[in-house]
Amino acid sequence: MNRIDQLFQNKGKDILSIYFPAGYPNLNDTVPNLKLLQDKGVDLVEIGIPFSDPLADGPVIQIAAKKSLDQGMSLKLLFEQLKDVRKTITMPLILMGYWNVVFKYGVDAFLLDCQTCGIDGVILADLPLEEYEEEFKAKFEAHGVYNILLVTPQTTDQRMAKIEKSAKGFLYMVSSSATTGGALEQSAEREEYFKKVARLDIPSLIGFGIHDKKSFQHASSFSNGAIIGTAFIKALNSGTASEFLDSLL
Amino acid sequence: MKIKVCGLRDKSNIKELMALPLDYVGFIFYSKSARYVGDDFDAEITKMIPLHIRKVGVFVNEAAEKILTLAKKYQLDVIQLHGDESPEDCQQIKDSGIEVFKAFQLNEDFQFERLEAYHKACDYFLFDTKSDSYGGSGEKFNWEILKKYKGETPFFLSGGIGIDDVEAVKAFQHSKLFGLDVNSGFERSPAVKNVVLVEEFLKSVRKKKMSNNKYAVNERGYYGQFGGAYIPELLRANVDELRENYLKIINSEKFQKDYKRLLDTYVGRPTPLTKVANLSKRFGTNIYLKREDLTHTGAHKINNTVGQILIAKYMGKTRIIAETGAGQHGVATATVCALFGLECIVYMGALDIERQAPNVARMKMLGAKVVPAISGNQTLKDATNEAIRDWIANPHSFYLIGSVVGPHPYPDMVTRLQSIISKEIREQLTKETGNPNPNYVIACVGGGSNAAGAFYHYLDEEDVKLVAVEASGLGVNSGETAATITIGDIGFIHGSKTMLMHDEDGQITEPYSISAGLDYPGVGPLHAHLAETGRAQFLSVTDQEALDAAMVLAQSEGIIPALESAHALAALEQMTFRKDDVVVVNLSGRGDKDMETYMKEINNL
Repeated sequence: MNRIDQLFQNKGKDILSIYFPAGYPNLNDTVPNLKLLQDKGVDLVEIGIPFSDPLADGPVIQIAAKKSLDQGMSLKLLFEQLKDVRKTITMPLILMGYWNVVFKYGVDAFLLDCQTCGIDGVILADLPLEEYEEEFKAKFEAHGVYNILLVTPQTTDQRMAKIEKSAKGFLYMVSSSATTGGALEQSAEREEYFKKVARLDIPSLIGFGIHDKKSFQHASSFSNGAIIGTAFIKALNSGTASEFLDSLL
Repeated sequence: MKIKVCGLRDKSNIKELMALPLDYVGFIFYSKSARYVGDDFDAEITKMIPLHIRKVGVFVNEAAEKILTLAKKYQLDVIQLHGDESPEDCQQIKDSGIEVFKAFQLNEDFQFERLEAYHKACDYFLFDTKSDSYGGSGEKFNWEILKKYKGETPFFLSGGIGIDDVEAVKAFQHSKLFGLDVNSGFERSPAVKNVVLVEEFLKSVRKKKMSNNKYAVNERGYYGQFGGAYIPELLRANVDELRENYLKIINSEKFQKDYKRLLDTYVGRPTPLTKVANLSKRFGTNIYLKREDLTHTGAHKINNTVGQILIAKYMGKTRIIAETGAGQHGVATATVCALFGLECIVYMGALDIERQAPNVARMKMLGAKVVPAISGNQTLKDATNEAIRDWIANPHSFYLIGSVVGPHPYPDMVTRLQSIISKEIREQLTKETGNPNPNYVIACVGGGSNAAGAFYHYLDEEDVKLVAVEASGLGVNSGETAATITIGDIGFIHGSKTMLMHDEDGQITEPYSISAGLDYPGVGPLHAHLAETGRAQFLSVTDQEALDAAMVLAQSEGIIPALESAHALAALEQMTFRKDDVVVVNLSGRGDKDMETYMKEINNL
């Protein structure tokens, strides 16, 4: 069984997912970061594949990705770093990135390496649902790699139904119309949207704007849990990652 | 698909036919034909034919001297040789500067190798049905035979084509098929055509051209394999809203009226098509400049911003986001926002802000907020990323893209709005030379909007050679270049599958060109498709070559071009022309904004 399904089966509430870019803050920190996250009780991790032009990310993630690239990070190196990751890490692992990097690497090679390293799912921010379904879905399924899909407050009901049908694992529920790293403001309209997605037949995690225990708990009250990226990177930057994770859990 | 109607003679019938969009009309100068024009054919009749319809004289084994005399008397543009003329006979006519069609009668036994000797001496072939006489038989031949024709010379299909053949014509595919030659199939009596039938035929056949356009975008936004909408889900609703509305708006009568009024009275269209005598002399041919530099704000960019601001207004948007490289698109956007009283935010690379100071000042004066993009190389690519992020955060805004790049429908929408350029070139060339088609259209390509506009109405006119000029910066292999088609490969940028400069890890490379308007690492998906299919030829020009070309134009014609346009001009040096060629260079913008660069780079200023 895919580790993502297992997680949602075993623990339906308060699932904490953390995002950080591969090779950050230092080139060889990918696996040590994973160990820290697992030790602290994080449920799920998204490892960012750094990209030169991350359209959907805010400045903190963009600057981190650039530093990681400047240090020599690449998708090829990431797979080398993750070669033996399953010897120590049991959490579900997701790779998150942009389509050009995967396309250039070769979709077949990418999926094979994902399978070999024990990657459970991927989030490809700019691969359209239609192109995925027509050209790549069969390949993803053959390698047991889940393609995690996003929904946003602007997603129409019609499109939501299409996404629900295609989705595997969980839905990445974007909290608001913004790139990553903004604040999560409470509003009736937003809560309506959260509730609508929660009624779907697939678990969901809320991302964008979750930055501390309070916002994590608030988001989790509407869904199966939440995703923290920018705030964790800030903690890595200031050398307080361990304390930050303690404050969440 | 060109249409030639052959075998005309009757004056009033010709007059009626002239109202139709024909490409060629034929007169038979062979006394044994039932459609022979006669010894006393009135030259006034051929004079009344509009210049854009080419006049063809049909001859059978006639002496060259007599042909040329008659060609002069009747102002014939083309000589069609229907007898046993040798390649040398054809060459003799062609050498006098007249176009040559050579007709061949085909049956199952036809030896296509025979044609090899004729390729150089003929502009087009005409394939007719085998008969015992030299004239047409009114019978069709088996078009399947033409599968064996692998030559380079385009051809007309002839022989008994009538109104009932529309479906067969639509079904027939051959890469060298250039036109249809019709005659007896549309006659009331010899040499008198049924005008209604001809008109019906033209409409039916040309409908095919619209739906089968090889270079048009499909409903998912693809040109061949390029295009699409590779965007984060965060942008999906914004892009869908635009996609669902843009065609309805553009095709509405109200939009067309408003757009035309603005183009005429605000942009300053039509822009002139200037024949540049000194430059023509330098290259030994006929060079025309399409003067987009004479538009309001000094570049073609305004055609697009005027159109998109109307679309934004119709969609009820009040906040406009744009990105800009050289600043021309930013200025054009700020201009139309001022005109319509809309809030305007322009993202611009911090480096570009520095090197395009006059345009930054203009945008500010026009009331726009200029936001520096400080990521990456701090140029156009980074400004585009920032603008897209703003759009994600502000979904109720309108993102006004300045080139034929980005997710569908932007490449198509911007191409349509810029297509006014080729529309005017056609009209102006028809007046000037009698033929809407030049031999070459040359335009510079960064993202590619001025080139898309200059190419648009010629995409299916395969006899017009399209030349796109990229900036190679310090040289294509220098590592400091923006020649995407030349050194790039397939990738994804800013929502499009296209040709892209990126490294082996798929990280997008920083482009370089002296021209801020051309240093973009991608290219519009239409252009990627034109390059892949070979429909357009892609050349590249260095910084230095562009600077030199700018000096030549300034000092020989009194026109200072934008650095972008200087790249298109520099391509002339890499090409060879015939003396009767018609060459159109799209002068996309004027050089005022680049004076600082010119002063720094050109020593004797």
